Amino acid sequence: MGLRDIGLILFFAAIIALLGLVPPLHHPMLGGVPVTAQGMGVTLAGILIGSRKGAVAAIVFLVAVAFGFPLLAGGRGGLSVFTGPTAGFLFAFPLAAFITGVLFQSLSWRMGGFLAAFLAAFVGGYVVLNLIGIPVMAWLTDKTVRQAVEIAAGLLPGGLIKALGTAIIVYLVAGLEPVGRR
Amino acid sequence: MISGYLSQETWLHRVPAGSKLIGLGVTTMLVFPVQDWRILVAGLVAVLALYASAGWPAVRRMGFLKAFLPMLAIVFGLHVFTGDWVAGANTILRLVMMILLADLVSMTTTMQQMMNALMPVLRLLRPIGINPEKVALAVSLVIRFVPVLGANWQARSEAWRARTGRKPSWRLIGPFLVETLRMADQVAEALDARGFARSTQKG
Amino acid sequence: MPSGQPGYQVPMVKVVDSCAARPGGHVVFEGVALSRGGRPVFDGLSLTLEERRIGLIGNNGSGKSTLLRLIAGLVQPDAGQVRVGGADVARERPNTGFLFQNPDHQILFPTVGEEVAFGLTARGIDQKTADARSEALLASNGCAGWEKRAVHELSEGQKQLVCLIAVLSPDPDLLLLDEPFSSLDLPTRYDLSHRLDALDQTIIMASHDLELLADFDRVLWLEAGRVRGDGPADSVIGAYRAHVRAGLDKARSA
Repeated sequence: MGLRDIGLILFFAAIIALLGLVPPLHHPMLGGVPVTAQGMGVTLAGILIGSRKGAVAAIVFLVAVAFGFPLLAGGRGGLSVFTGPTAGFLFAFPLAAFITGVLFQSLSWRMGGFLAAFLAAFVGGYVVLNLIGIPVMAWLTDKTVRQAVEIAAGLLPGGLIKALGTAIIVYLVAGLEPVGRR
Repeated sequence: MISGYLSQETWLHRVPAGSKLIGLGVTTMLVFPVQDWRILVAGLVAVLALYASAGWPAVRRMGFLKAFLPMLAIVFGLHVFTGDWVAGANTILRLVMMILLADLVSMTTTMQQMMNALMPVLRLLRPIGINPEKVALAVSLVIRFVPVLGANWQARSEAWRARTGRKPSWRLIGPFLVETLRMADQVAEALDARGFARSTQKG
Repeated sequence: MPSGQPGYQVPMVKVVDSCAARPGGHVVFEGVALSRGGRPVFDGLSLTLEERRIGLIGNNGSGKSTLLRLIAGLVQPDAGQVRVGGADVARERPNTGFLFQNPDHQILFPTVGEEVAFGLTARGIDQKTADARSEALLASNGCAGWEKRAVHELSEGQKQLVCLIAVLSPDPDLLLLDEPFSSLDLPTRYDLSHRLDALDQTIIMASHDLELLADFDRVLWLEAGRVRGDGPADSVIGAYRAHVRAGLDKARSA
């Protein structure tokens, strides 16, 4: 890691944190899983600064949260979020960033950057996060498999919107500055 | 930005951070399989007693629980809806207990202590090429630059409002991110100018 | 330098020729060439800088910032050599302090104490010693008890003061200042320039505020990567002013 990589990592960790200012959305259909914008920060990091640095940015963000800074959506922070029901989603952040980055790299050779960003962000931001987050949550809060599947289905529209948002942002940034140069 | 750290010294401040973290981890493992509400109530009472022993400032901090309230309410509501309110109560008891215990550790441990205690965990990342010292540095930098980025976004949306009279648009995101990428270069230069990693860094 | 003996506290009087520049702050450019983004910035620049106070003036894009970055070793020349204190900057990084225009780009840490101590820990000094030294340094600059203060709550002037103290903490021989006062109000400018006057380090400062450079030992006027004027402050500044005015008059009458 060079000095510039540290700079990129720190700013994407900060962006994930800033997205926590978007108020989380709660809906009974979703079994207590808050819909937040922070997953978007994670997928953006994977795409814009690459899989490895993106994953490190997510780790840096989580360490800052563990230190007690209220950086999670809804103003939460401290170790309690890692023992609370949404802990699985948080632990999945680095993996989500990594997989989004890897997918974007390999897909963008085959298709347009916009579509690649959308698919990569969907797989990383929806599939990976929920594949880890929902089972952990279901386990911690004694939910049935059926309920878990219902939650996943309930989160799908939000997941699609967030993947689309990520793709639009990547498209916007790419128009101003070539992505992948960094 | 304010961290959850409690500045008034309590006896828990003097317990080594590593012991507190291990204690928290072990308790988590022990508590999650428990289905007997009596044990859970006893556990919650024990946690509350810990709070009481740490004094009034710690007890007052329990108000932070309200950030978890919507989530807890939905979890409980779903259990009631499916007719199993005992299981719901168990879940809530367990979650509240663990959240309170974790926060007690957070509020009695300084950032430096936490960093030192977490170092062995971060070292596990070394085989996949992640330098724990640099992660630690990056965390400090994040705490520093979150308010800077926030102010930056604020300034942009003010300029947008001044010129259009409308609410900030998503179109601001592109330029904001591009400037953020440039700031990354400036930070790298500032680190370089201050002599960081001089031996490992060339050019 | 031990913390009990703060060398920055030279008496607040102007010490001019009686106090020679530190030899560690001598700068030599030898046939330096550099292109950035495909455009040549310098093409065979040679210079010897040995005065205690050197000012850099010139229009935006004339190469002032790049010159400072070359001296600090932040940018390496494509050809030629930059030596500070006799040593090649490309091989051995000189002990210089760099003060940037915008303190928000320079301050790296959330609290004042961490910021000031970082210059020491980055050079391999252990945390305890670094903390003690930065505490003493803050106190000797009238900022006693600032260690725990959050950087983002400081005023612009306080931030730039913290930057200066942080940059001074490893006791550099040479201070490089790139428009350090452009966002500050008049009282803060005077206060900071007064503090700079009292330092025994060599100072090279790029500035558009010509008044600040009026009593410098030497001023260089850069234009398109070349030295257009070089000499005592008043004559070089006067020539630059006249040149800018003449250029404007010509543009208006045309």
